[in-house]
Parts: sequence; structure tokens; C-alpha cells
Amino acid sequence: MGKGNLFVGLEIGTSKICVAVGEGRPDGTVKILGVGEEPSRGVRKGEIVDFETAGKCIRSALAFAEEKSDVAIGAVYLAVTGAHIQCFNNRGAITIPEERDEICEEDFDEVQASAREVSIPAPNVFIHSLLQHYYVDGQDGVLNPVGMCGRRLEADFHIIHGIANRVKNSVRCVKEVGPEVIDVVFAPLATAQVVLDINQKGLGALVIDMGGGTTDFIVYVNGAVKMSGCVPIGGDHITNDISLGLRIPINRAEKLKREEGSVTIGASVPGDMIVLKDETGFAGKEVEREMLNSIIHCRVRENLELLRTQLDEGGVALDYLGAGLMLTGGCSLLDGIRELAEEIFGLQAHLTHATTVSGNISAFENPQFSTAIGLIKYAQAMTPEQPRGLFGWLKDKLALAGMWLW
Amino acid sequence: MIELPRHSSPSAATEPVVKILGIGGAGVNALDRLLLDGVPATDLVAVNTDVQSLVASVAGDKVQIGRATTRGLGTGGDPELGYIAAEESAEELRSVLEGASLVFLLVGLGGGTGSGAAPLIANYARQANALVVVFATLPFTFERKRRMDQASEALAALQQQADVVVCFENDRMSDAVDPHAGIEEPFDAADQILSQSVRAIAALVGQRGLLHLGLDALATTLRGQNARCVFGFGEAEGDNRAHEALGRALKSPLLDRGRLLDDTAHVIVHVAGGPDLTLNEVQILMEELNRHLGEETHVLFGCATDAALRGRLRVTILSALGAAAPARFVQPPAPVARVAPGRPATVEPEPPAQIVAFPDPLGDGDHPVAKPSIASGAAARKSSAEAEKAAREAKQAVLQFESANRGRFEKSEPTIVNGEDLDVPTYLRRNLKGR
Repeated sequence: MGKGNLFVGLEIGTSKICVAVGEGRPDGTVKILGVGEEPSRGVRKGEIVDFETAGKCIRSALAFAEEKSDVAIGAVYLAVTGAHIQCFNNRGAITIPEERDEICEEDFDEVQASAREVSIPAPNVFIHSLLQHYYVDGQDGVLNPVGMCGRRLEADFHIIHGIANRVKNSVRCVKEVGPEVIDVVFAPLATAQVVLDINQKGLGALVIDMGGGTTDFIVYVNGAVKMSGCVPIGGDHITNDISLGLRIPINRAEKLKREEGSVTIGASVPGDMIVLKDETGFAGKEVEREMLNSIIHCRVRENLELLRTQLDEGGVALDYLGAGLMLTGGCSLLDGIRELAEEIFGLQAHLTHATTVSGNISAFENPQFSTAIGLIKYAQAMTPEQPRGLFGWLKDKLALAGMWLW
Repeated sequence: MIELPRHSSPSAATEPVVKILGIGGAGVNALDRLLLDGVPATDLVAVNTDVQSLVASVAGDKVQIGRATTRGLGTGGDPELGYIAAEESAEELRSVLEGASLVFLLVGLGGGTGSGAAPLIANYARQANALVVVFATLPFTFERKRRMDQASEALAALQQQADVVVCFENDRMSDAVDPHAGIEEPFDAADQILSQSVRAIAALVGQRGLLHLGLDALATTLRGQNARCVFGFGEAEGDNRAHEALGRALKSPLLDRGRLLDDTAHVIVHVAGGPDLTLNEVQILMEELNRHLGEETHVLFGCATDAALRGRLRVTILSALGAAAPARFVQPPAPVARVAPGRPATVEPEPPAQIVAFPDPLGDGDHPVAKPSIASGAAARKSSAEAEKAAREAKQAVLQFESANRGRFEKSEPTIVNGEDLDVPTYLRRNLKGR
């Protein structure tokens, strides 16, 4: 059995920096060797605001991961997110030249280039062009047109773009610490690779990754990415709300949120108080549980409703998402959030973490690691294996887009 | 060790004579509760136009006012009739009040007898050289404008005549009691609070304590034009009684979780306990309390022991919000449904707004300008109690959030969606009341 390739995924999150090291086996599976994490400082709402501090945290996280997986990290796949990242769907079209009858490889690149010929704002750069569907001479439902006869090849792409400098910032930050950045991936795309399996992508699914600084989402319809994006509200906002609302310092608010917080309101007895221990261990302030939960509920509801609005405006028919809603990320650990999400989206909601991988269970059962681990899966899909031929490469490309069916 | 007699019997001259008058239907009902709680019936006087209510009352003294005016029936919710009735029976009322040094008036405002007669009676009591402490309840918001207006007018008049007015808003019952409880409970609770307050203040001036607070201290703290009283009472027993008693006192709806203490100039704190009261407990209590007080607040501390209180600790907090507060009041927003089952929200704080001058001709809407005649129609148009409560909470919100309303996100780029800055806490933008 040949040794697989080693891949490293790095996510610079708002609450934590996470590095996942995994091995991509020739049979297509991924085994996680180790995950290193470090509390993140210098990152707000998914974007680096303090270069130096963030760099230090990245260094620590990398060291931690190296130690855990016993691997020297030389290059990483980097996840990016932020409110500046936008997406749209576009169709590219090319005409097959007269001489040829068949559609072949090069045509794919051309049609992709054609799809990208739409003006994006000047400061922006393309991050992904994800294939959705092919049409040959107007015929829909074509999965793999290579070898088919046709005059006109069209393809729908889901294009993701973002402000070039912000993306470059993240890349530079990593490079300063050491490793090379092989590729930059929009975070929810990476997450979806390990949170959804092929069937779910085919049925249609919505993945929401609610992290510390941002809430990333991605929608699969009929196996292809229909919509993706990022709302710059996350767990940090919940903590901030608690801190301001109950007048306690941020770190205590964070602790309170994690230990006692719940999204459900109306469930606690009026007058049920939580006693916050003082530094000296004596009973300090008392806060009403219902108030705490109300604050959390307000914020989470607003966040999810904003997302719902975005989805509705983007034309996503939530009713048709067969596999429902997958919730992941740190905030998915909030008590009661699953029910609230179900209520707001009208879909069956599931709390998930990385599933389509093997390895040390504790390493990937934490929903906060979904993105970093997803990067590894993505990396594997993007990396041409030992000569598997044209079809092998295409298989991977299509697998990424979710169109892998056999 | 020489045991000094704890209860040196004071001469009759120094013992304050206390009279407790319940005026109107609600007031008379409250007297029943007081009796249950051990106040001697001789101190209680029931005053009403409605004969039936007087007959049913357990008070030691009963005065039927307005015999000719209402002929033994009630006023039908008309304060003017109440006033006339009290005027008619001025002689009787004055004789009941004679010799009293401390007069409590218990009244439910909004109706006829209570709202109409109470201010006049307060006036008589004042003329009798007594310290007048009024405990008034204000109607529920759902009793609607007419009663609220009548209540406000009466309140304004009372504040002119009385030394201290302690207000209890019926709407606040939802704070004191589980909103899903049986309907008798909140009224019971209100009566209990009235009773506790009356007994606490009476005990305060009555008990010869180690650190005695007399009527003069009470007067200093509480007297003042248009002073609104701030009152908290808590009693506890057991190991952690200092902390618990203070906690309960601060939870008193009349204290609004202790936040009102920030504004006051003087505060009376009276701690009473059995012979087992320790200095340590007193210290703990005072330290904790100090956290709630403003920097400038002057504390008058009184302490007493009573053998009857063995094992228990009782703390009474008394203060007044003077008319000096108005400059910080903000235009109160339209009140949301105040008694909403299951929701803790009552009145919402105003998001950080500029201090707006009231269009209301009553000047700053906080304390209504004194009106000598009750019948005058120019009294507060909006329920002054409501406005003040809202303004108090709104002020809290303004002071709190003006500087740091984005907290952690102070320095980051704001996220504006639909004209709202999403970094500002959601509950604030949705006007969920902060407690």
C-alpha cells in the first residue's frame, strides 16, 4: 500500500487558530494524524487586524500540530473568510471549433475562463470557480461531456471572489511564520467536504459554520454549490452582548456563555439566578438565567434570520434541500441552537463535525475543527495522484464539485 | 461584664406615636395585612366613604368620611367626591391624627376615595406636626388612562403634602411574583410589601438601637420637595444571612435591583438582629451595599438588636430620589406591554440617544410640578410614575452604553446591515429591557 500524501490545513479563526495534519490515502480516504490549536488573538470577524500577534499565534499552533502529528510542516492549505467574500453564479459558453467534433479537456479551461469574464470589483480577486453543471448544445444534465459531440459547450459556475489585499494579508502572515501556502480556500467550502457526504450533496444541503467571528454558509443543490457566503457575526458577538448586557468583563462573559448559556428562552424558572464566583471564590454577582438566555437568543436569532434573508434573496429554495441543515463550528455547541435553526430555516437541523475522515476520534469530533480538517479533504481532491490518468483527475475535480457519482 | 438593659423603657414623651391610616378600598384592605403581621389594631385607622368596607375592616379605629356627600356608598371612582368627603369629615380626621408624631397613609391611587381624600388627609397630618409617610399603589397600565391620570394627579398632590411618598406600581407585581401565579398572589404580595415597609419604618424609629436613627434622621433623608422614596427591605436567617438579607432588600421592586441607589444623596441603612448579630456580618453587609451606592452618597447607618429577632437579620434601606435628578432623564419611549406573562421585559431603555427636552409642558416630565388643588386638570398628562420609571431605566441605559456600546468591537470596522450597526448588541437594538 503506497504511502499517501500529507496535507496540512490551516484556519486562522477569530477564536482559535487551528492546524490539521492528515494523510490522503490512495483509495481516497483521509486519515487525520493530529490537530493543533491555539487561542487566536489579533483576529476579528474572521480577518487579521493585528499582524504580529496573529503571526505569533499561528506559529504556536503550527508547533503544536507538528508535535501532535510528528510531521514537519512545510506547506499548508489556508482557509479564508470574511464579510468581503462574495459569490455569484455565472454561465460560461464556448463554441467548439469547426474542425473538432468532440469535446475535450482544453475546452473546460476555456469555458471556465469565459464564465469568469464578468466584472468583479477592482480590488477583488477570484478565489474559486466551482463547476456546477454542463450543458452541451443546450442539453441539461450532462455530467461529463468529455468525448461527447457537440457544437456549443456551456457551464454554470459558482464564482467566489474577495478583496485581494485581505486575502494576501492572510497569506503573507502565514508565509512570515514559515510555511508556504499552496492554495487559498473559502472556509465553508472546506467545511462542507467533511461535513457532507456525496449523497447529502446530491439531495441538497445547507451547511452553517458558526464560529467565533463569522458565520459561514454554503448551499449544495443537486450536488453542486449553489450559494455560499459569510456573515460577519459570530460567537464573539454573543459574548460581547453578554458582557455589555450583564455588565461583566469579556472573559467572564465567555465563560458564562460556554458553561451556562442557552439559546432557549422561557424555559427557566423566573428568578432562577446564576451566581458568578468572584476571583476570591466568594459569591460575586448574580445574574438571572432568563436574562442571559434572552441576550443570547436575540443575537443568535438575528444572525440566523439575516442568513435566511440572504438565502431567500439568493433564490435558494430551502424546501428542496433534502439533506437538511448541518450546523457546525463552535457556536453549534450552544444549547438549543439546533431547535432555533430548525424553526428559522424550516429544515431538519443536525449538529455535525468532520465525519468523512478517519483517525484519532477526539481530533475531529470537535465541531470547531471542521474547517481545518475539511481543508485536508479539499487538498486531497485537488491534488493529482500518482498517475491516475485523465479520468482520475477529472474524477477529483468533479468530486469536489460534488458530482461524483460512481 | 455589665449588661446594660437593652430595652430601657423610654419616657412616653420620646416614644413616637404612630398612626397608620388606610384610605379608600385598597388602603383599608392593606390594614388587614398589617394586623396579620402583628401591628396592634389600636394603631390602625380605616378611613373610607364606603360603609361596607369599614364594617368588614379589622382596624381599631374607623372613620366614615363624607356621610352627607356619599351617604355611605363609595365615590364611584371620582376623586372630587373623595376630596369633598374628606373635607366634610375634617373634624373627625383631625382628632384621630392629633398627637401623632409619625403618620402612615396607605392608599391605592386611581380611584375616588383614595386619590381624592389622601392628599387632604396628608395635609391635616402635617398640620398636626407629624412626619407623614405615604405608601401609595399606582394602577395597572391596563386600567387605562383615566385612572392613571387620576392617580398621577393624586400623587402629585401627595408629594406636595407628605414628607415621603413611597410608590408601588401594580405593574411591578410581575417582578415580585411569578406571572403565572394565581391572581390573588400578586395582590397579596403587594399587601405584604406595604406591610413590611410600614413595619420596617416604624421599627426604625421606634427601636432604641445601639446606633439610633430618629425621626430627625428620617426627615433629613426623606424630606424634600417632591421626594420619591426608594425603599428596600430584606430579612434572612441562617449562615449567610447578611448576604441573603441584603440580596432580598436589593431585590425589592421598589429598589429596582439596587440601581436606584446610585442616584441618591442620602441613604438610611438600618440593620436589626438578635443578640447574636455580629460585627462581621454588619461589615460584610455594608461592604456589599457600598458597591451599589454612588460615590457621593451619604450613608446614615443605624443598628439595633431585639431579642425577638434572635437568629434573624433584617436590613432596611431607605432613601429618596430628590428633584435634583431630572437633568439626566431621557425622553421615555412608548411603554411596551408591562405585564406580559413569561417575559422579563418591562419598559425598554432608550438606545444611546441625546437627552431630549420634553414637549410636555410639565417640565422634564420627571417630577410633576406641585399643584395645590387636586381638582386642577393641568397635572401630568402622561402617567408621571410611568414616565419616571421609564426615564430612570432609560437613564441607566444612557449612562451605561454611551461610551462602550460596541464593547469588543470598538475599534473594528462596523458591520452595517439595513441601517443597523450589527456590532451593537442585538438585545439593545431590539429594546429588550436590561436588568
